[in-house]
Amino acid sequence: MTLAYVPGDSLAHRLDPRSKLLVQAAFAAAAYAYTTPRGLAALTVVAVGSLLSAEGGPRDLWGYRFAVPFLLVAPLVAGATLGEPWFRLDRARDTTLASYRVLLVLVVAAAYVRSTPVRDSRAAIQWAIPGKPGQFLGVGVALVFRFLPLLKRDLLATREAIHARAGGERPLRDRMRLVAVGGINRAFGRADRLGTALNARCFAWNPTLPRLSFGRGDYAVTAVGVGLFAVATMASI
Amino acid sequence: MSTRTESVDLVGDEAATNVARAALFAALVGAFAYVSFPHPFSASPITLQVLGVFLAGIFLGPVWGGGALVLYLAAGAIGAPVFSAGTGGLGVLLAEPTLGYLWSYPFAAALIGFVVHGGVTLRDIDTVGLPRLVGAMVAGTAVIYAFGVVGFAVVLELTLVEAFLTGALAFIPFEAVKMAAAVGVVRSDAIAAN
Repeated sequence: MTLAYVPGDSLAHRLDPRSKLLVQAAFAAAAYAYTTPRGLAALTVVAVGSLLSAEGGPRDLWGYRFAVPFLLVAPLVAGATLGEPWFRLDRARDTTLASYRVLLVLVVAAAYVRSTPVRDSRAAIQWAIPGKPGQFLGVGVALVFRFLPLLKRDLLATREAIHARAGGERPLRDRMRLVAVGGINRAFGRADRLGTALNARCFAWNPTLPRLSFGRGDYAVTAVGVGLFAVATMASI
Repeated sequence: MSTRTESVDLVGDEAATNVARAALFAALVGAFAYVSFPHPFSASPITLQVLGVFLAGIFLGPVWGGGALVLYLAAGAIGAPVFSAGTGGLGVLLAEPTLGYLWSYPFAAALIGFVVHGGVTLRDIDTVGLPRLVGAMVAGTAVIYAFGVVGFAVVLELTLVEAFLTGALAFIPFEAVKMAAAVGVVRSDAIAAN
Protein backbone atom coordinates (compact mmCIF):
# COMPACT_ATOMS: atom_id res chain seq x y z
CA MET A 1 0.00 0.00 0.00
CA THR A 2 1.37 3.41 -0.94
CA LEU A 3 1.84 5.98 1.78
CA ALA A 4 -0.58 8.86 1.18
CA TYR A 5 -2.70 11.48 2.89
CA VAL A 6 -5.60 9.97 4.83
CA PRO A 7 -8.34 12.40 5.91
CA GLY A 8 -8.86 12.44 9.65
CA ASP A 9 -9.17 14.49 12.79
CA SER A 10 -6.16 13.32 14.78
CA LEU A 11 -3.78 15.58 16.68
CA ALA A 12 -1.33 15.64 13.76
CA HIS A 13 -4.11 16.41 11.26
CA ARG A 14 -5.05 19.53 13.21
CA LEU A 15 -1.49 20.93 13.26
CA ASP A 16 -0.17 23.57 10.89
CA PRO A 17 2.04 22.11 8.10
CA ARG A 18 4.85 24.55 8.96
CA SER A 19 5.27 23.25 12.51
CA LYS A 20 5.21 19.68 11.21
CA LEU A 21 7.89 20.42 8.61
CA LEU A 22 10.05 22.14 11.23
CA VAL A 23 9.81 19.21 13.62
CA GLN A 24 10.78 16.76 10.85
CA ALA A 25 13.95 18.67 10.01
CA ALA A 26 14.79 19.10 13.69
CA PHE A 27 14.21 15.40 14.32
CA ALA A 28 16.63 14.49 11.51
CA ALA A 29 19.23 16.91 12.89
CA ALA A 30 18.90 15.41 16.37
CA ALA A 31 19.11 11.87 14.96
CA TYR A 32 22.36 12.71 13.13
CA ALA A 33 23.79 14.39 16.24
CA TYR A 34 22.85 11.59 18.67
CA THR A 35 23.46 8.34 16.82
CA THR A 36 24.04 6.50 20.08
CA PRO A 37 21.95 3.68 21.61
CA ARG A 38 20.53 6.04 24.24
CA GLY A 39 19.90 8.91 21.83
CA LEU A 40 18.16 6.64 19.33
CA ALA A 41 16.10 4.99 22.07
CA ALA A 42 14.78 8.40 23.13
CA LEU A 43 14.14 9.40 19.51
CA THR A 44 12.31 6.11 18.91
CA VAL A 45 9.74 7.24 21.47
CA VAL A 46 9.32 10.58 19.64
CA ALA A 47 9.07 8.87 16.23
CA VAL A 48 6.50 6.29 17.31
CA GLY A 49 4.57 9.01 19.15
CA SER A 50 4.42 11.18 16.02
CA LEU A 51 3.14 8.31 13.89
CA LEU A 52 0.51 7.40 16.49
CA SER A 53 -0.57 11.05 16.73
CA ALA A 54 -1.37 10.84 12.99
CA GLU A 55 -3.30 7.61 13.63
CA GLY A 56 -0.73 5.79 11.52
CA GLY A 57 0.67 2.33 11.95
CA PRO A 58 3.08 -0.20 10.45
CA ARG A 59 1.01 -0.27 7.24
CA ASP A 60 2.18 3.27 6.44
CA LEU A 61 5.81 2.15 6.52
CA TRP A 62 5.39 -0.77 4.11
CA GLY A 63 6.36 1.39 1.12
CA TYR A 64 9.83 1.99 2.58
CA ARG A 65 10.69 -1.74 2.60
CA PHE A 66 13.00 -1.37 -0.43
CA ALA A 67 15.50 0.57 1.69
CA VAL A 68 15.91 -2.45 3.97
CA PRO A 69 18.41 -4.53 1.90
CA PHE A 70 20.87 -1.61 1.88
CA LEU A 71 20.40 -1.10 5.60
CA LEU A 72 21.09 -4.78 6.32
CA VAL A 73 24.09 -5.13 4.01
CA ALA A 74 25.81 -1.87 5.02
CA PRO A 75 26.90 -2.99 8.53
CA LEU A 76 28.46 -6.14 7.03
CA VAL A 77 30.37 -4.10 4.45
CA ALA A 78 31.47 -1.59 7.08
CA GLY A 79 32.69 -4.32 9.44
CA ALA A 80 34.51 -6.39 6.83
CA THR A 81 38.20 -5.60 6.43
CA LEU A 82 40.89 -6.98 4.16
CA GLY A 83 43.35 -8.67 6.51
CA GLU A 84 43.41 -9.00 10.30
CA PRO A 85 41.01 -8.93 12.14
CA TRP A 86 38.75 -9.52 9.07
CA PHE A 87 35.69 -8.15 10.83
CA ARG A 88 35.64 -5.02 13.00
CA LEU A 89 32.68 -5.04 15.36
CA ASP A 90 33.01 -1.35 16.28
CA ARG A 91 32.58 -0.20 12.66
CA ALA A 92 29.71 -2.61 12.07
CA ARG A 93 28.06 -1.27 15.22
CA ASP A 94 28.35 2.37 14.08
CA THR A 95 26.77 1.56 10.74
CA THR A 96 24.02 -0.50 12.37
CA LEU A 97 23.09 2.54 14.47
CA ALA A 98 23.19 4.71 11.33
CA SER A 99 20.86 2.25 9.55
CA TYR A 100 18.42 2.37 12.43
CA ARG A 101 18.53 6.16 12.34
CA VAL A 102 17.30 6.04 8.72
CA LEU A 103 14.22 4.08 9.78
CA LEU A 104 13.38 6.57 12.54
CA VAL A 105 13.49 9.59 10.23
CA LEU A 106 11.26 7.73 7.74
CA VAL A 107 8.69 7.04 10.48
CA VAL A 108 8.40 10.77 11.27
CA ALA A 109 8.12 11.59 7.56
CA ALA A 110 5.33 9.02 7.20
CA ALA A 111 3.39 10.77 9.97
CA TYR A 112 3.59 14.05 8.02
CA VAL A 113 2.52 12.55 4.70
CA ARG A 114 -0.39 10.74 6.32
CA SER A 115 -1.71 13.83 8.09
CA THR A 116 -1.14 16.70 5.63
CA PRO A 117 -3.25 17.43 2.53
CA VAL A 118 -1.37 18.61 -0.55
CA ARG A 119 -3.03 22.03 -0.51
CA ASP A 120 -1.68 22.71 2.99
CA SER A 121 1.82 21.63 1.99
CA ARG A 122 1.61 23.85 -1.05
CA ALA A 123 0.57 26.83 1.08
CA ALA A 124 3.51 26.12 3.42
CA ILE A 125 5.93 26.05 0.47
CA GLN A 126 4.63 29.35 -0.85
CA TRP A 127 4.81 30.87 2.64
CA ALA A 128 8.44 29.78 2.96
CA ILE A 129 9.50 30.85 -0.56
CA PRO A 130 7.88 34.13 -1.54
CA GLY A 131 7.51 35.52 -5.05
CA LYS A 132 7.49 33.74 -8.38
CA PRO A 133 9.92 30.93 -7.43
CA GLY A 134 7.51 29.96 -4.65
CA GLN A 135 4.55 30.18 -7.02
CA PHE A 136 6.35 28.01 -9.54
CA LEU A 137 7.09 25.40 -6.86
CA GLY A 138 3.55 25.53 -5.50
CA VAL A 139 1.81 25.23 -8.88
CA GLY A 140 4.29 22.64 -10.11
CA VAL A 141 3.98 20.44 -7.04
CA ALA A 142 0.19 20.49 -7.29
CA LEU A 143 0.43 19.52 -10.98
CA VAL A 144 2.83 16.65 -10.20
CA PHE A 145 0.28 15.18 -7.79
CA ARG A 146 -2.44 15.58 -10.42
CA PHE A 147 -0.56 14.10 -13.36
CA LEU A 148 1.52 11.34 -11.74
CA PRO A 149 -1.32 8.75 -11.86
CA LEU A 150 -2.10 9.62 -15.50
CA LEU A 151 1.51 9.30 -16.64
CA LYS A 152 1.90 6.05 -14.69
CA ARG A 153 -1.09 4.72 -16.58
CA ASP A 154 0.36 5.96 -19.89
CA LEU A 155 3.62 4.12 -19.20
CA LEU A 156 1.78 0.97 -18.18
CA ALA A 157 -0.19 1.06 -21.43
CA THR A 158 3.05 1.50 -23.40
CA ARG A 159 4.68 -1.44 -21.62
CA GLU A 160 1.65 -3.65 -22.26
CA ALA A 161 1.74 -2.70 -25.93
CA ILE A 162 5.45 -3.59 -26.09
CA HIS A 163 4.82 -6.96 -24.43
CA ALA A 164 1.90 -7.70 -26.74
CA ARG A 165 4.25 -7.26 -29.70
CA ALA A 166 6.89 -9.62 -28.21
CA GLY A 167 8.95 -6.62 -27.11
CA GLY A 168 10.33 -8.70 -24.24
CA GLU A 169 12.65 -10.31 -26.80
CA ARG A 170 14.27 -6.99 -27.64
CA PRO A 171 17.47 -5.77 -25.92
CA LEU A 172 17.14 -3.72 -22.73
CA ARG A 173 18.22 -0.52 -24.50
CA ASP A 174 15.38 -0.80 -27.03
CA ARG A 175 12.79 -1.51 -24.37
CA MET A 176 13.93 1.53 -22.36
CA ARG A 177 13.84 3.70 -25.48
CA LEU A 178 10.34 2.61 -26.44
CA VAL A 179 8.99 3.23 -22.94
CA ALA A 180 10.69 6.64 -22.82
CA VAL A 181 9.45 7.73 -26.28
CA GLY A 182 5.90 6.76 -25.35
CA GLY A 183 6.14 8.49 -21.98
CA ILE A 184 7.63 11.71 -23.34
CA ASN A 185 5.13 12.01 -26.17
CA ARG A 186 2.21 11.59 -23.78
CA ALA A 187 3.80 14.02 -21.29
CA PHE A 188 4.45 16.70 -23.92
CA GLY A 189 0.98 16.26 -25.36
CA ARG A 190 -0.58 16.69 -21.93
CA ALA A 191 1.73 19.61 -21.08
CA ASP A 192 0.86 21.57 -24.23
CA ARG A 193 -2.87 21.03 -23.75
CA LEU A 194 -2.47 22.01 -20.10
CA GLY A 195 -0.51 25.16 -21.01
CA THR A 196 -3.27 26.26 -23.39
CA ALA A 197 -5.94 25.46 -20.83
CA LEU A 198 -4.08 27.37 -18.10
CA ASN A 199 -3.86 30.45 -20.31
CA ALA A 200 -7.52 30.21 -21.24
CA ARG A 201 -8.39 30.21 -17.52
CA CYS A 202 -6.29 33.27 -16.56
CA PHE A 203 -3.44 31.32 -14.98
CA ALA A 204 -2.05 33.82 -12.47
CA TRP A 205 1.01 34.13 -10.28
CA ASN A 206 -1.18 34.92 -7.27
CA PRO A 207 -4.07 32.47 -6.80
CA THR A 208 -5.92 32.14 -3.48
CA LEU A 209 -4.66 29.49 -1.08
CA PRO A 210 -5.94 28.24 2.28
CA ARG A 211 -4.94 30.68 5.03
CA LEU A 212 -2.51 29.02 7.43
CA SER A 213 -2.77 29.71 11.13
CA PHE A 214 -0.96 28.47 14.23
CA GLY A 215 -3.08 26.88 16.97
CA ARG A 216 -2.06 26.06 20.52
CA GLY A 217 -0.77 22.63 19.53
CA ASP A 218 1.46 24.19 16.88
CA TYR A 219 3.32 26.27 19.46
CA ALA A 220 3.99 23.11 21.47
CA VAL A 221 5.20 21.21 18.38
CA THR A 222 7.35 24.16 17.31
CA ALA A 223 8.88 24.23 20.79
CA VAL A 224 9.70 20.51 20.43
CA GLY A 225 11.30 21.23 17.04
CA VAL A 226 13.37 24.13 18.40
CA GLY A 227 14.37 21.96 21.38
CA LEU A 228 15.52 19.13 19.07
CA PHE A 229 17.55 21.62 17.01
CA ALA A 230 19.07 22.97 20.22
CA VAL A 231 20.20 19.54 21.45
CA ALA A 232 21.52 18.75 17.95
CA THR A 233 23.54 21.97 17.97
CA MET A 234 24.87 21.35 21.46
CA ALA A 235 26.03 17.89 20.46
CA SER A 236 27.93 19.21 17.46
CA ILE A 237 29.73 22.02 19.37
CA MET B 1 -17.05 41.74 7.29
CA SER B 2 -14.07 43.04 5.40
CA THR B 3 -13.33 42.30 1.79
CA ARG B 4 -10.01 42.21 0.11
CA THR B 5 -9.23 42.97 -3.49
CA GLU B 6 -6.04 42.04 -5.28
CA SER B 7 -5.09 42.49 -8.88
CA VAL B 8 -4.34 39.32 -10.82
CA ASP B 9 -0.81 38.95 -12.14
CA LEU B 10 -1.21 36.79 -15.23
CA VAL B 11 1.42 34.31 -16.31
CA GLY B 12 2.44 34.80 -19.95
CA ASP B 13 1.78 32.26 -22.71
CA GLU B 14 5.31 31.00 -23.01
CA ALA B 15 5.93 30.80 -19.26
CA ALA B 16 2.65 28.92 -18.75
CA THR B 17 3.68 26.29 -21.29
CA ASN B 18 7.11 26.03 -19.69
CA VAL B 19 5.64 25.64 -16.21
CA ALA B 20 3.31 22.93 -17.55
CA ARG B 21 6.18 21.14 -19.30
CA ALA B 22 8.42 21.30 -16.23
CA ALA B 23 5.63 19.93 -14.03
CA LEU B 24 4.78 17.16 -16.50
CA PHE B 25 8.44 16.21 -16.79
CA ALA B 26 8.71 16.08 -12.99
CA ALA B 27 5.68 13.78 -12.94
CA LEU B 28 7.22 11.71 -15.75
CA VAL B 29 10.45 11.19 -13.77
CA GLY B 30 8.19 10.10 -10.89
CA ALA B 31 6.32 7.69 -13.17
CA PHE B 32 9.67 6.36 -14.46
CA ALA B 33 10.42 5.31 -10.86
CA TYR B 34 7.69 2.68 -11.28
CA VAL B 35 9.13 1.24 -14.49
CA SER B 36 11.61 -1.28 -13.19
CA PHE B 37 13.75 -3.80 -14.97
CA PRO B 38 15.12 -6.62 -12.78
CA HIS B 39 18.80 -6.27 -11.91
CA PRO B 40 20.84 -9.48 -12.24
CA PHE B 41 23.26 -8.68 -9.36
CA SER B 42 21.41 -6.45 -6.94
CA ALA B 43 18.34 -6.54 -4.72
CA SER B 44 17.27 -3.14 -6.06
CA PRO B 45 15.82 -3.09 -9.56
CA ILE B 46 16.95 -0.65 -12.26
CA THR B 47 14.52 2.22 -12.66
CA LEU B 48 14.39 4.84 -15.37
CA GLN B 49 14.62 7.99 -13.20
CA VAL B 50 18.14 8.78 -14.41
CA LEU B 51 16.92 8.48 -18.01
CA GLY B 52 14.28 11.05 -17.06
CA VAL B 53 17.04 13.34 -15.72
CA PHE B 54 18.98 13.03 -19.02
CA LEU B 55 15.90 13.78 -21.09
CA ALA B 56 14.80 16.71 -18.89
CA GLY B 57 18.16 18.40 -19.47
CA ILE B 58 18.12 17.62 -23.18
CA PHE B 59 14.52 18.58 -24.00
CA LEU B 60 13.86 21.40 -21.50
CA GLY B 61 17.35 22.94 -21.26
CA PRO B 62 19.32 23.97 -18.19
CA VAL B 63 16.77 26.33 -16.61
CA TRP B 64 13.46 24.49 -17.00
CA GLY B 65 15.14 21.06 -16.91
CA GLY B 66 16.77 21.86 -13.58
CA GLY B 67 13.48 23.43 -12.44
CA ALA B 68 11.56 20.27 -13.37
CA LEU B 69 13.83 18.18 -11.14
CA VAL B 70 13.48 20.70 -8.29
CA LEU B 71 9.71 20.22 -8.62
CA TYR B 72 10.23 16.46 -8.54
CA LEU B 73 12.14 16.70 -5.24
CA ALA B 74 9.66 19.19 -3.74
CA ALA B 75 6.66 17.03 -4.66
CA GLY B 76 8.41 13.97 -3.24
CA ALA B 77 9.30 15.84 -0.04
CA ILE B 78 5.68 16.62 0.74
CA GLY B 79 4.54 13.10 0.03
CA ALA B 80 4.02 12.43 -3.70
CA PRO B 81 5.01 8.78 -4.25
CA VAL B 82 7.68 9.67 -6.83
CA PHE B 83 10.90 8.23 -5.41
CA SER B 84 12.10 4.72 -6.21
CA ALA B 85 9.56 2.00 -5.41
CA GLY B 86 6.84 4.62 -5.02
CA THR B 87 8.01 6.16 -1.76
CA GLY B 88 7.76 9.81 -0.76
CA GLY B 89 8.22 12.09 2.23
CA LEU B 90 10.85 14.48 3.52
CA GLY B 91 12.53 11.62 5.37
CA VAL B 92 13.73 10.12 2.08
CA LEU B 93 15.58 13.35 1.28
CA LEU B 94 16.98 13.74 4.79
CA ALA B 95 17.99 10.24 5.78
CA GLU B 96 17.74 7.50 3.13
CA PRO B 97 21.09 6.11 1.97
CA THR B 98 20.25 7.04 -1.63
CA LEU B 99 19.52 10.70 -0.81
CA GLY B 100 22.67 11.90 -2.58
CA TYR B 101 21.40 10.57 -5.90
CA LEU B 102 18.12 12.43 -5.50
CA TRP B 103 19.75 15.75 -4.51
CA SER B 104 22.05 15.50 -7.53
CA TYR B 105 19.23 15.33 -10.11
CA PRO B 106 18.55 19.10 -10.50
CA PHE B 107 22.27 19.82 -10.82
CA ALA B 108 22.81 16.98 -13.29
CA ALA B 109 19.82 18.02 -15.43
CA ALA B 110 20.97 21.65 -15.46
CA LEU B 111 24.51 20.62 -16.38
CA ILE B 112 23.32 18.31 -19.17
CA GLY B 113 21.04 21.04 -20.53
CA PHE B 114 23.83 23.60 -20.40
CA VAL B 115 26.30 21.37 -22.26
CA VAL B 116 23.78 20.15 -24.86
CA HIS B 117 22.44 23.63 -25.66
CA GLY B 118 25.80 25.41 -25.19
CA GLY B 119 24.25 27.96 -22.82
CA VAL B 120 20.87 28.82 -21.37
CA THR B 121 19.05 29.49 -24.66
CA LEU B 122 17.58 26.39 -26.25
CA ARG B 123 18.56 25.29 -29.71
CA ASP B 124 17.17 22.62 -32.01
CA ILE B 125 18.35 19.30 -30.60
CA ASP B 126 18.52 17.76 -34.08
CA THR B 127 21.53 20.00 -34.74
CA VAL B 128 23.40 18.77 -31.65
CA GLY B 129 26.17 16.31 -32.48
CA LEU B 130 26.42 12.86 -30.94
CA PRO B 131 29.73 13.53 -29.06
CA ARG B 132 28.24 16.58 -27.34
CA LEU B 133 25.09 14.65 -26.42
CA VAL B 134 27.01 11.71 -24.96
CA GLY B 135 29.61 13.98 -23.30
CA ALA B 136 26.81 15.90 -21.56
CA MET B 137 25.25 12.70 -20.26
CA VAL B 138 28.61 11.33 -19.06
CA ALA B 139 29.22 14.59 -17.17
CA GLY B 140 25.71 14.41 -15.70
CA THR B 141 26.24 10.79 -14.65
CA ALA B 142 29.51 11.75 -12.95
CA VAL B 143 27.66 14.43 -10.94
CA ILE B 144 24.91 11.96 -9.99
CA TYR B 145 27.35 9.30 -8.79
CA ALA B 146 29.60 11.80 -6.98
CA PHE B 147 26.65 13.12 -4.95
CA GLY B 148 25.25 9.60 -4.58
CA VAL B 149 28.40 7.95 -3.24
CA VAL B 150 29.14 10.80 -0.81
CA GLY B 151 25.55 10.70 0.44
CA PHE B 152 25.68 6.93 0.88
CA ALA B 153 28.94 7.21 2.85
CA VAL B 154 27.64 10.00 5.11
CA VAL B 155 24.27 8.41 5.89
CA LEU B 156 25.60 4.93 6.65
CA GLU B 157 28.96 6.05 8.09
CA LEU B 158 30.93 4.10 5.51
CA THR B 159 34.18 5.00 3.78
CA LEU B 160 33.87 6.28 0.20
CA VAL B 161 35.21 2.98 -1.18
CA GLU B 162 32.70 0.93 0.83
CA ALA B 163 29.91 3.27 -0.24
CA PHE B 164 30.94 2.91 -3.87
CA LEU B 165 30.98 -0.90 -3.63
CA THR B 166 27.60 -1.10 -1.87
CA GLY B 167 25.62 1.66 -3.48
CA ALA B 168 27.05 2.43 -6.90
CA LEU B 169 29.17 -0.25 -8.59
CA ALA B 170 26.36 -2.60 -9.58
CA PHE B 171 24.39 0.20 -11.27
CA ILE B 172 27.06 1.91 -13.37
CA PRO B 173 26.97 -0.44 -16.40
CA PHE B 174 23.27 0.28 -16.82
CA GLU B 175 23.90 4.01 -17.11
CA ALA B 176 25.51 3.30 -20.48
CA VAL B 177 22.33 1.48 -21.55
CA LYS B 178 20.25 4.48 -20.45
CA MET B 179 22.52 6.84 -22.40
CA ALA B 180 22.05 4.71 -25.51
CA ALA B 181 18.28 4.75 -24.92
CA ALA B 182 18.37 8.56 -24.48
CA VAL B 183 20.23 8.99 -27.77
CA GLY B 184 17.62 6.76 -29.40
CA VAL B 185 14.84 8.94 -27.98
CA VAL B 186 16.46 12.19 -29.13
CA ARG B 187 17.05 10.83 -32.63
CA SER B 188 13.57 9.31 -32.80
CA ASP B 189 11.15 10.80 -35.31
CA ALA B 190 8.32 9.91 -32.99
CA ILE B 191 8.90 12.85 -30.60
CA ALA B 192 6.44 15.53 -31.63
CA ALA B 193 7.63 18.35 -29.33
CA ASN B 194 9.64 21.50 -30.21
